[in-house]
Amino acid sequence: MNATQWGGMSAIFLASAVEWVEAFTIVLAVALSIGWKRAVSAALAALVVVAALVAVTGVGLTVVKADINRIRAVIGVFLLLFGLRWYVKAIRRYAGRTALHDEAREFSETREHLAHAEAHVAWLVAFKGVLLEGLEVWLLVVALGRTLSYAQASGSALVALLAVIVVGLMLRAPLTRVPENTLKFTVACALLAFGSFWSVGGLLGEHTVWPLGDVTLLPLFAVYAVSGRLIGLKLRLSAADTAEGSRA
Amino acid sequence: MRKLLQLVFGDVRNIISVALAIALAYMAQRWIPAAAGWILVGAIIVAGFWQAV
Repeated sequence: MNATQWGGMSAIFLASAVEWVEAFTIVLAVALSIGWKRAVSAALAALVVVAALVAVTGVGLTVVKADINRIRAVIGVFLLLFGLRWYVKAIRRYAGRTALHDEAREFSETREHLAHAEAHVAWLVAFKGVLLEGLEVWLLVVALGRTLSYAQASGSALVALLAVIVVGLMLRAPLTRVPENTLKFTVACALLAFGSFWSVGGLLGEHTVWPLGDVTLLPLFAVYAVSGRLIGLKLRLSAADTAEGSRA
Repeated sequence: MRKLLQLVFGDVRNIISVALAIALAYMAQRWIPAAAGWILVGAIIVAGFWQAV
């Protein structure tokens, strides 16, 4: 192999590793709420779809290239809707505003139905996230792999996927010790970060709205996390003030 | 079915919040394109506060 080929393979490895990390973040977030088995099944299903599309590259590539922004926008809006609900729930719990007895009553009424339906939606979130990232990796393979053979280009993307999975699995155990509401809040912030990035990026043009590209996901996550905690704190303090006022 | 739709999209406030945030970002993009995304983020955070109160 010559230097150009090594360069091409490294570029594909690094670029697709970034996409796979994003996909893994979503799978991880979903796994923490519905379990690894279901989250992994969603990821595998999405990868199978991507693989099937890759198998018919000629036809599929044209479709995906034309519609990648529309796909991004639709999935982004879906993540915003789902993430905002979890965000509000977690903030209310931080603020002590969610009346636990109401939740318990609601849960006892529709417990199984809710659990099943919520798991189904969470499964879809993981599926769509991995599908979108997988499609982006595929476009990268095609775009950057012109100097390489198809096997070298897709091999680099697969090695990146394996590397991300190994690192991700190492993070799995420590995460189980984090309190449940913190996990759900973190998941909500991650979903909102991806949802914000993809929705307006897909609708208005990623380079126009997010000139820094994928790196923007980190500040997006941080802004949602800090704001959410501040809102929770503010609501908790005003609830405490009200309680004190009524006692006095 | 209604419950399932609610789980996917949330209640009316949730749908209105996201729709308004996207509309704001869309309008902002005409004058300050680079700020459109952050306007969406701000609107979502305000919506989070509104719904949590």
